[in-house]
Amino acid sequence: MIESESLVAATLPTHPLPFVGPDLFTSARAANAVRHTLSADRCVFSRSRRLLPTGTWYGPKDAADAYVEDIDVAALGGLEAAMGVGVRAWVGSNLSQLAQAHALGLRTFLRLLYNAGEDTATRLEKLAQVKAAVNEGLITAAVVPTPTDEPMGLDTLAFFAQCRLQLPAVALAADFSRLGHRLAQMALGFGANELFGPIVAERALRVGENANNPALTRKEAAVFIKGASLVPFERLAGGRLEEVTV
Amino acid sequence: MTAPLERIAEKLQAAEPLSFDDGMELFTHRNLLDVANLANGVRERLHGDRTYFNRNFHINATNVCVASCRFCSFARLEEGSPSAQTLTHEEAWQKLQRRVDAGEPVTEIHIVNGLHPGLPFSYYTELLAGLKRIKPNIHLKAFTAVELHYYHQRYGMPVEEVLQQLHAAGLDSLPGGGAEIFAPRVRKKICDDKCNADEWLNIHRIAHNMGLRSNCTMLYGHIETLEERVDHMLRLRALQDETGGFQTFIPLAFHPDNNAMMKLPGPTGVEDLRTYAVARLLLHNIPHIKAYWVMLGIKTAQTALWFGANDLDGTVQEEKIYHMAGAETPQTLAPDEIIRLIVNAGRAPVERDTLYNVIAEGDALLPKTPFRRNVNKRSLEVMP
Repeated sequence: MIESESLVAATLPTHPLPFVGPDLFTSARAANAVRHTLSADRCVFSRSRRLLPTGTWYGPKDAADAYVEDIDVAALGGLEAAMGVGVRAWVGSNLSQLAQAHALGLRTFLRLLYNAGEDTATRLEKLAQVKAAVNEGLITAAVVPTPTDEPMGLDTLAFFAQCRLQLPAVALAADFSRLGHRLAQMALGFGANELFGPIVAERALRVGENANNPALTRKEAAVFIKGASLVPFERLAGGRLEEVTV
Repeated sequence: MTAPLERIAEKLQAAEPLSFDDGMELFTHRNLLDVANLANGVRERLHGDRTYFNRNFHINATNVCVASCRFCSFARLEEGSPSAQTLTHEEAWQKLQRRVDAGEPVTEIHIVNGLHPGLPFSYYTELLAGLKRIKPNIHLKAFTAVELHYYHQRYGMPVEEVLQQLHAAGLDSLPGGGAEIFAPRVRKKICDDKCNADEWLNIHRIAHNMGLRSNCTMLYGHIETLEERVDHMLRLRALQDETGGFQTFIPLAFHPDNNAMMKLPGPTGVEDLRTYAVARLLLHNIPHIKAYWVMLGIKTAQTALWFGANDLDGTVQEEKIYHMAGAETPQTLAPDEIIRLIVNAGRAPVERDTLYNVIAEGDALLPKTPFRRNVNKRSLEVMP
């Protein structure tokens, strides 16, 4: 078992973030070692659908995760109202809402917001808050580092590695709809062990107005994960994991 | 590291060129970080933290093209087709003139065009000569080997004479495009009606023997196999051993939108980084590896600076070829943005000219503008 505390101490960057420096590979290796301890070479995704503030669903009907984002909860009349129409998971960055969602029995994904230009102290403070939430058992699904603006490539990857090192026992998800496909796939090589985003049964061609739709099909998600040298597993309804072979 | 990778590391330590099998091992090695670490070691041994960029812009004088490359979204078959465009000399020259009038310190113009069936050869020589009249010290990096081969056929001149006339008119170096993948199997399927690999390489050989420098490229992420990628790079390496004229290798990521190969997914981020790393390791005799941000995306290009790349290309401005194929990057990057990307990557920005002479580095390059949020991906105003 790798001692995450000593690993963190040994691999914290000697330069303030967002400077990456020669610690990049050290951090990445250490992060991947922690990830391997947690989940071997497994990378999990699930087909999910999101309850939009209009009350309609976006995503496949047989999705394993039916979730609501924290920013939409008020428009839907609250978490309990959302649960009444089928929501079973919560995604957001609001820590008080996280506690509420957990208390209601929802699967919880915590978005760890970051932006390029933050210094190390700010990042570590955020990680400490998340760590506290993890220790309280409030995050039952995954931590999802989420950029609030255009993410820098290396800064994001270094941050994923630090998240993995600081949070060795919780799933770390790369949201490909926020990071872009390329960066999300790279993040799987820097400690992430889950893929998060719109994964659908079928998707329209990315042409015209749909040109920037980030949705992946189940097969595309599996190929995506395999391309990062990990083994794709789909989380099905009920929490069962099934290896996806392509 | 595994035993094969350790053997590769030993070869690198001994400055021994890697083999075809080594290239395949690098492309298939399970742990990308191990490969990247080796590539980064070579990068830093050659260049330290120095990361080059330049101030340039593009002129695509015509997109009318008789070739039918299946991956191309830029070309139009004839004048009058929707989006077909051929610039007059004045229109092309005006692109430089307005930058000169605005005092922009641009040092290079990148000129590539379709294979127009109706323009006289003098169109191209006058294009270059006019640009040189406006700014004599502007570097004209122009014409792919595909274009030069076309002119040789179209105008009935030996390649040497084509190059001599263009050089006399102002041509300073070749951009290196049009290589795609050298393997005949692939060329037959994706670009059957333009020059083949031997012709492409020979044109660069002739240019190098004339004293002209050039870049070289590889279009990856479509139908080519890993063996064909390795073969492509080794053929470039062999010519470089002969002439020493290549400055930079540029892996170009295939973009699937708006072309005949749009059913292909295109390369992934991991594939991009691995290709860069392998390129750095295989091409020991080509000084620079360029991450062309227009095709890779800014995030991946920045990341590639730790996976073997030491050049981010330029401010570009008015890039059309890959944006018509679906590239979602801005059409230009301000110099301060490029510098910020490099500094944020923990590297040291160096502004260069086309021939890698240093124009500025160090404190002279520190960003003077605040970080821009909410960057519009489609267009970016030119920063002074």
